[in-house]
Amino acid sequence: MRVKANEAILASGFLGLMITLFLAFNWAPSVNINAFESPESQRIFYWHVPAAWAAFIAFAVLFVGSALWFFKRSSIGWKMHIAGSEAGLACGLMAVWSGCVWGAAEWGTPWDWEDWRLNTFGLLTLLALFLVLGRQSQPDGVETRDTFSTFGLYGFVLVPLTYVATRIWVIRHPGPVIAGEEGSSISSEMGLVLLIGAISFTTLIIGHILTSMEITKFEQRLERLQKELDGE
Amino acid sequence: MDDKTYLSIAYLGMIFGLAIWTWTVVSRSRNMEQRLEAMEQSLKVKSTDADSVAAIDSSEQS
Repeated sequence: MRVKANEAILASGFLGLMITLFLAFNWAPSVNINAFESPESQRIFYWHVPAAWAAFIAFAVLFVGSALWFFKRSSIGWKMHIAGSEAGLACGLMAVWSGCVWGAAEWGTPWDWEDWRLNTFGLLTLLALFLVLGRQSQPDGVETRDTFSTFGLYGFVLVPLTYVATRIWVIRHPGPVIAGEEGSSISSEMGLVLLIGAISFTTLIIGHILTSMEITKFEQRLERLQKELDGE
Repeated sequence: MDDKTYLSIAYLGMIFGLAIWTWTVVSRSRNMEQRLEAMEQSLKVKSTDADSVAAIDSSEQS
């Protein structure tokens, strides 16, 4: 069977994730057991951070796609909008889920409604959910695309807000471990596993975005074929 | 529950979710492509990637 480029990218991303998991469990050093309530659960960090990183990439694709559709009426822009919202939802859910797992073990509660980082990221994921479900429930047309693109454009404001949240309002979510304050850095082994995880998630999300754009292309081909059959 | 068991269950859940999502997307893409090609061949219609919504809007504007 013929394997396409996007499928090869997806497979290599998945393989990278498996390697990340193996290294996270077997090679990455443990954290200071006195500093954490649940030191082993900290290893979810190697999945949580790359998932959030991939979600930001997906939201950036969503923003660019929305802008391209809204201002240029670009067909590729609309495909990027769809792919970005779907990938953003999947990665957002993974980051939220892994965060809840860690929160439950470390803080004793999976969610804190007063923490800025948690809530702005949760809102971003809800926005992606709204875009995915909303698009599926509406007929495809210029007005529908304009409405959802507007949400994609304005919703992106939450991305920089989420990014700076732990730098400005540290409530419960830990502060940045890379490019953060002095003393917030991680060991080189931890950094390497995190880097492999980030590269793997980036590869996987690129594969997903390409595949999703291809599906939208097929849907448009199908719609055109149907119109031709209907004699429109 | 032991910390590592808890973590393993969480990881397995996420991998399973990710694998299902990836499999669904890839199989949907393959299915659609095969069906489209078969339809276009049987109807002797030339395939086109044009976006009808974008085309309608640009023709209305011009």
